[in-house]
Amino acid sequence: MNAQAQKQKPSITILQFICIISGIQIGVAVLSLPGNLVKAAGTDGWIAIIIGWIIAGVAGTVIVMVMKNGQDETILELISRTLGKWAGKLAALLMACYFVLLTFDGLNRTVLITKTWLLPNTSSFTLMVLMLIPSYAVLNNQIIAVGRYVVVIFLMSLWVPFIYLLPLKNGHLLHLLPVIKEGWGPVFIALKALIYPSLGIIAAFFLYPYLKNKKQAVAGMWVSNSITMGLYLFITVICLLFYSPDEFIQYNEPVISMLSSIEFRFVERIEVLFIAFYIFFFSMVWIPCLYLTVECTSWMLGGKKKTLHLQIICVGLAVITYLLKPTFSASDDLQERLMWIGFGFEYVLPVCLLGYLWIYGKFQPRR
Amino acid sequence: MAEKVNDCIATDLNSVISHLREHFNDTPDLIFREFGIKQTGEQGLLVFMDGLSDKNAINHDILRPLQFEEGSGQAGGKLIMNVGHIMTVETWMRVEQNLLNGFSTLFVDGRTEAYSLDTRGWPQRAIEDPQMESSLKGAHQGFVETGGQNIALIRRYIPNRELKIRKLTVGKRGRTEVSILYLEDVTNKQFINSLEERIRAITVDVIINTGELAEFVEDDPYSIFPQFMTTERPDAAASQILQGRCVVVLDRSPSVIVAPVSFMSFFQSVDDYSTRWSISTFIRLLRMFAFFVAAFLPAFYIAVVSYHFEIIPLKLLFTLGESRGRVPFPPFLEAIIMELTLEMLREAGVRLPAPVGQTVGIVGGIVIGQAVVQAGLISNTMVIIVSFTAIASFILPNYDMVAAVRLVRFMLMVLAAMFGFVGLTVGLMAMVGHLITLKSLGMPYSTPLAPLHIKDWKDTIIRMPLWKMNKRPEGSAPLQSVRQGNTRTKEEQE
Repeated sequence: MNAQAQKQKPSITILQFICIISGIQIGVAVLSLPGNLVKAAGTDGWIAIIIGWIIAGVAGTVIVMVMKNGQDETILELISRTLGKWAGKLAALLMACYFVLLTFDGLNRTVLITKTWLLPNTSSFTLMVLMLIPSYAVLNNQIIAVGRYVVVIFLMSLWVPFIYLLPLKNGHLLHLLPVIKEGWGPVFIALKALIYPSLGIIAAFFLYPYLKNKKQAVAGMWVSNSITMGLYLFITVICLLFYSPDEFIQYNEPVISMLSSIEFRFVERIEVLFIAFYIFFFSMVWIPCLYLTVECTSWMLGGKKKTLHLQIICVGLAVITYLLKPTFSASDDLQERLMWIGFGFEYVLPVCLLGYLWIYGKFQPRR
Repeated sequence: MAEKVNDCIATDLNSVISHLREHFNDTPDLIFREFGIKQTGEQGLLVFMDGLSDKNAINHDILRPLQFEEGSGQAGGKLIMNVGHIMTVETWMRVEQNLLNGFSTLFVDGRTEAYSLDTRGWPQRAIEDPQMESSLKGAHQGFVETGGQNIALIRRYIPNRELKIRKLTVGKRGRTEVSILYLEDVTNKQFINSLEERIRAITVDVIINTGELAEFVEDDPYSIFPQFMTTERPDAAASQILQGRCVVVLDRSPSVIVAPVSFMSFFQSVDDYSTRWSISTFIRLLRMFAFFVAAFLPAFYIAVVSYHFEIIPLKLLFTLGESRGRVPFPPFLEAIIMELTLEMLREAGVRLPAPVGQTVGIVGGIVIGQAVVQAGLISNTMVIIVSFTAIASFILPNYDMVAAVRLVRFMLMVLAAMFGFVGLTVGLMAMVGHLITLKSLGMPYSTPLAPLHIKDWKDTIIRMPLWKMNKRPEGSAPLQSVRQGNTRTKEEQE
């Protein structure tokens, strides 16, 4: 009986699906997004989010449409079935690289932020190892654990947006006006800044086969995109209301700096508490991405010994941190590159795949 | 001789005696009583274990009717005795087992069968108020050391034929009876089967207590969190059965195992259902808060004082500085000293007899409360933190969970001393990660939270009014989900 239950394919609920995708998207990106948007489009940056929402939503829909071509198989199996075995292996390798970069980026940012704000004297390596321990605990138990973990973190952080309403009493609506002061040009340029924060929809490629009710997938994609973009819009608008456009550029992480203006009778420097809490939030990037990396590499090498792969990748991440001693500028550099790599993987690749599968379907003799 | 052990019993009384004497040598409490049976005119031999059997029953209900009452007078005829449960046994094996369980065995000269008579009556404790889980309004009957009585106590709450019992035996030497109680039309078969499978797989000499049994069959034996709940309250056990869980009654043990349970079950108590729902909701939330206080408070204090004192408002910082000024130890050491003292006091109080235990309390109170602070060894704030933590941990209704929290607290203190708030976050993250992957009989341990069953929150995080809880918890995957009909809504419509 027990063996039977274990043989059942693990499945995730639509809520877990939504939370995993939103989690990867929001994670560390939310901190730098308002700054990047304002740099590109001034106070009109928030309009770009609405356009970005539609684009990301369409990209997500395309991914689900690609996945509908396969029955219960991940993207890698789908590719190797339609494009050949070696194309599948190559895709797995590339995606593993992409996911490991995302993981490293997430972890690296977390380490850097913790180092700057909380523990300046601790080495990056130590912090990296510290972050990897709980990740290992979650990941040792595969997709179900990842889904549950992310949902719990979402539940635990539901109160955070409300805290951001507090500084609003010092906000000025005037900062936003006039709307579209420099025309639509800068708004479209600002879309570039939205690519990196929207990365994560690709997870649907791997989550779709586990999804309990596949009909909800498209809706789920839109919901998760709406959550992400809604949060971005919320945070960006609040930042814009709070800081004047000139002030804005002085801060690296306006999202954190803004918290210092909140004062409670019983606690000072509230941002210290918040950054400690944000580590939870950041973990929503690296834990699913680490899972996806392991999924890709283990699939590439025959689908066994996932734990061993996880161990090797964790050790690898720690060693790289030890050797590179990352800095903020290097991290920014990585994010810039990830933006274009991610654009290729999450926006261009699905469209190409969909086109290919459409042609493939035409020429494939029906059974 | 060897074949006789497996084979039939002897027909001749003398060889019966010699056989038993040989196998039970150095067993002075095995009593042999030979007598003539008036009912049939045959020779009889009654064998029983002194102390394990009820002498009154033997004297009045077996010996008297057999020796003095008239019967058919034919050899081989029916024997009339005032005993409820009579088994016919034909092998030495069965005779031996029954004797050791307190049955007395009647051999009749010339017959190829013997009779095991239920005269079990070993030393027993009266049913008393449960010690560990006392309750204000709940029943005042606790389980005792006899499995049969414990089952009867549960049956009193669920007089329904759907309440089924699966009986197993565990232990080569002890042969402890283990009964799994469940509702046939409610409880998911998967639990019962996997529980039975796991219990059958145990090969030990003897299992003395439920804790041992739980350790053998738990899902993750390396976890510090209890995955089965033990209770000594029949009413609690019955209500768990009604929610679609199984209860394991272990003979000779005064508590039973409830499985599968979730993390949240450890925050519930029977009193929750007998007080008003708004109040018990408040108490449940209080318990959850207490859990976090008990696990995190000392660690939080260490993190704040040694790493992040900038978050303390200035006025409070002065007070803190004043109290910590004379203390020679770093906060971590200070906290460890106090926590260890507290743990030692607690352990001392548990093992010592009640009158001496009180002295420990007084000594501890003076040591913790006053002397340490006056001597300048420990700061006042630390004393407050430690006592607050202790109080918080006393609020949790389940001893096993409190024990787990104590261990978690020490781990978090170490993490906080090394990494401040980051250590705390990582600790919490690891704890969440561990809890969501833990299972109890294959059911997710963190059930109403992860996986999310919002409907189950009615009776976990809060307690809704009873007439709102019409369904059994989804978390225990019951076969029959409806528990009750609408009580209130009809009334209100009228």
